Amino acid sequence: MYQWLDDRLSIGKLYAKAFRKAFPVHHSFFLGEITLFSFITLVLTGIFLTLNYEPSIRPVSGSLSGGQEVPAAYYSILYIDSLPFGAVLRSLHHWAAHIMIAAAFLHMLRIHLTGAYKNPRELNWIVGVFLLVLSIITAFTGYALPFDNYALTATKIGYEIGAAAPWVGKLLSDILFAGELSPTNAQTIPRLFPIHVLWLPLALIGLIGAHLTIMIKQKHTQPKYAEKVAPGKIVGVPLFPQQAAMMGILFLVYIAVTTFIAGAFLAHPVQAFGPPTANTPPVKPDWYFMWIYGILQIIPANWRFEFLGATFGPQFWGGILVPTIIILGALAIPFLDYAKNKQRYLELPSQHPFRTSFVIGMLMFYIMSTLAGYKVDLSLSNGLLWVLVFIVPVITGVVSYIIMKAVYGKDWNQEVEVKLIGKGSAADD
Amino acid sequence: MADHEATAHHHEHHPEDPQAQATRRAILQAAIGVSAGAAVLSTLWVGAGLVPREEKIPSKEPVAAGDILVFATGPKAEQEITLDDLRAAQGEKIPFIIAFPKSPENVVKKDLITNTLMVILADPAKMSPETKQYASPEGVLAYSAVCKHLGCTVSQWQNDTWLCPCHGGKYDIYNQAKVVGGPVPAPVPQLPIKVEGGKVVVAGEFLGKPGADV
Ligand code: FES
Repeated sequence: MYQWLDDRLSIGKLYAKAFRKAFPVHHSFFLGEITLFSFITLVLTGIFLTLNYEPSIRPVSGSLSGGQEVPAAYYSILYIDSLPFGAVLRSLHHWAAHIMIAAAFLHMLRIHLTGAYKNPRELNWIVGVFLLVLSIITAFTGYALPFDNYALTATKIGYEIGAAAPWVGKLLSDILFAGELSPTNAQTIPRLFPIHVLWLPLALIGLIGAHLTIMIKQKHTQPKYAEKVAPGKIVGVPLFPQQAAMMGILFLVYIAVTTFIAGAFLAHPVQAFGPPTANTPPVKPDWYFMWIYGILQIIPANWRFEFLGATFGPQFWGGILVPTIIILGALAIPFLDYAKNKQRYLELPSQHPFRTSFVIGMLMFYIMSTLAGYKVDLSLSNGLLWVLVFIVPVITGVVSYIIMKAVYGKDWNQEVEVKLIGKGSAADD
Repeated sequence: MADHEATAHHHEHHPEDPQAQATRRAILQAAIGVSAGAAVLSTLWVGAGLVPREEKIPSKEPVAAGDILVFATGPKAEQEITLDDLRAAQGEKIPFIIAFPKSPENVVKKDLITNTLMVILADPAKMSPETKQYASPEGVLAYSAVCKHLGCTVSQWQNDTWLCPCHGGKYDIYNQAKVVGGPVPAPVPQLPIKVEGGKVVVAGEFLGKPGADV
């Protein structure tokens, strides 16, 4: 049997080439895998959901809605929740999306802090940035599908932010949502549904494929210690069987933990929110949009001007310009900080105080603008929030730079010396 | 190397002067350019099919003078709002009613978001002269309930101000919905109101543009 398959598929060769791929051993390297597992979980639970979901808002009534007429999409969520484990699977879909975005973000942070985006991996960094952005967009397009009052209101804010893009915004928002987003627009759900369950996932699969192929082709960056243990050699465990076993275990742990979370914290209780009405409930976005939401709250309403028939207002500055600048900045990183020679080893964050403190400053910016999202709840003043959002991150960055220089400065000169001596003696041999 | 040989081979069979080659290259480039442009254009043309069609239906008509206000939500949804309803709401936590206009032909115009209204019975003594001018003598006031910020329904009431739950926009209903807090760029427009036979009737057009200001 094996011989038969090997003759046709040359498994032996594949085994030697692909299955022996070395995986560096470090727990932070699992972040990418967790992102992938989340995606797989999303696809699997998503299949279950699509099979029970009716993408329409035609009015239906039944025992689940207590005889009340509700949109079919909303009703089908009640139906899903009534199935055995239906609510848990829907909840799992919800939490897996959150975990995917969080894990992708942390994965990116790891790459950033260790300079793993440098030559030759710039391309994969770019693919990664697009993957994160696309995952967030995909998550957003799923918001409105349960078609409850909360979901629709939250999506409506996204609609208006999109519409705030100069000239083309209204058109793009109308194309994405098939016209103005409203409780009675019958075209919206039939449009969002295939975008969420087919086209964006396909795009994600394509990008993930590219991401992994490039990674396999370029090989992982090696942890710093590998340079000391076996300079110039690849250190790690082979994909098969060691890494595969670890991945399998990690996947099982992942499923166990997320299923527990999903069961213990049932996400988005549509029944409590009810079908959409003219009266919108107070909404807060998910945590990964919270920083945009925060910035939107602190930009003064009168910052607006007209230019060639387009309005540049607060929604544009906070909702579109700031995120765009950050995305473009992320894309530019490997070109601002590049290596002449191919980078094989990860860099220690402590040895790159500027980059590390920049990352810490950016995290602070994220945390502070998220805090601004709670402006009303905590009754914080705008002046204070401006300081928190725009000055505190800078101060944090500068302070952490100074501290890092002071603490690690000496050490790392010594290490450079050690390395030079080491190299010298190697050349002598 | 192999490439080079192939090219040389090619030349032997088709001897051509550089002039003709240049012309041919130019023609090819122009052809590629034109077809790429045509491809982009036709994609856009097809893409235009994604722009939703506006449907002209009575339930999507904008609010007009003569419309009667009805409840937009709740157990009395689509029932006409009476002065008594407004009086009853006065003491409540939310003293206003979210309403839709209903045309004289009995069509509730609920499919146009900007038709979401707030109607309240307020003390005329507290109102600014402009506000009072478009309220009914009893003190019935109406505004567009679609927040000028990002289009939520302004649905809360806090310390005598009208509050948008989404980002904390605050409006002063006694003074033409002047913005008194939050990120809201402009006041929501007032809707002239009169009371006829206990019903709340629209007396004219919005005094401005309703809907989120983006
Ligand atoms: S939508 Fe009303 S304050 Fe933002």
